[in-house]
Amino acid sequence: MSPNNDPCPETDRLADMADVKFFGALAAAMTHDMKNVLAIINENAGLLGDLSVKAQKKATPIDPLKASTISEKIRKNVTRADTMMKRFNRFSHSMDHAEEFVDMEETVMLVASLSERIIRRHGGTLTVIPPPVPCRIHARRFVVLHLIFRALDILCCNHADPASDIQKQMTVRFGSELTRPEICFTRDPGFMIKRDVLFDSPKDRALLAHVKMKVKMMDAGAGFCLCTARPEHG
Amino acid sequence: MGLKILLVDDEQEFVETLSERLQMRDMDTHAVFDGKTALAQVQSHPPQVLIIDLKMPGMDGIQVLQQVKQTHPFIQVIVLTGHGSEKDRKTCMDLGAYAYFQKPVDIDQLNTAIRQSHEKTLTDPRDSMGFGRPVDKGFYQP
Repeated sequence: MSPNNDPCPETDRLADMADVKFFGALAAAMTHDMKNVLAIINENAGLLGDLSVKAQKKATPIDPLKASTISEKIRKNVTRADTMMKRFNRFSHSMDHAEEFVDMEETVMLVASLSERIIRRHGGTLTVIPPPVPCRIHARRFVVLHLIFRALDILCCNHADPASDIQKQMTVRFGSELTRPEICFTRDPGFMIKRDVLFDSPKDRALLAHVKMKVKMMDAGAGFCLCTARPEHG
Repeated sequence: MGLKILLVDDEQEFVETLSERLQMRDMDTHAVFDGKTALAQVQSHPPQVLIIDLKMPGMDGIQVLQQVKQTHPFIQVIVLTGHGSEKDRKTCMDLGAYAYFQKPVDIDQLNTAIRQSHEKTLTDPRDSMGFGRPVDKGFYQP
């Protein structure tokens, strides 16, 4: 197809590519976590089987306390898997609506839980401080999730050696103006973020344009805020 | 004395249960939860077989595999991961891993791979070249 016949503007196409990559990254992290949970269930079920075989061979009963501990571990991990699947299901349904009012605290919490493995692997820990007033924007939920993921990615991964032992403390705060949603991302005291890594790529800019948000650098590079360019009302 | 197995995985509950099951199969197991501790353990108490996860905080499994193969080529490494990438499997096998399993694993398959990997060590012709040889307790010395 020639450029003139292309129904999709370049920015939209870049955003679409980035969206697919984002979906893949979270799906990979989530399925990895799920495999770990299944592996724990598998080993505990297997251990129960091993103990049964041993009990039959030696004609001695299985220790009831041991059996109950194993059973509890299986139950706990089934609950853990269920929670993961519910989160991933919510994430998958984020593409259902074109635009809607999106609660930003809920969105940050969902991205944080889905990308927990990625953050942990980079030695990061994340604290989310609840907003003083509701923080909502009108946008496509999936794109907002993507934007928050990119913000955490920049905060956590762009300056770090993944093999480093240094723990990266990250904090997300929300602004206090109801009509001007703002989300601020900061790192450990003393850490500085360079302006040139902040949503600098064409894909990132397309993402920001899609949700009508801009990036504001915090003093001394301590972090950055995402804020809406115009007031929003629920 | 059973085979000396070192298990490395940041999923503590998983690795401890697997360790217990391998002990029931007459193996002498030890579990650690990160790559750095694994390398220290390899230096102080070299195992015969290392079972390692790939994606861990800090040093990942591929880095551990690489270093172990450099310093202790006779330790057999079995990768056991929740990560399903074909690229990672190829990288691990190219670096000298004996086998690559995805979680959840069948214990009988893992048991067989552990024993076969150890047999491979015993019959490896490089042993006569001084890379390492079995000592009394079944440990290998680099």
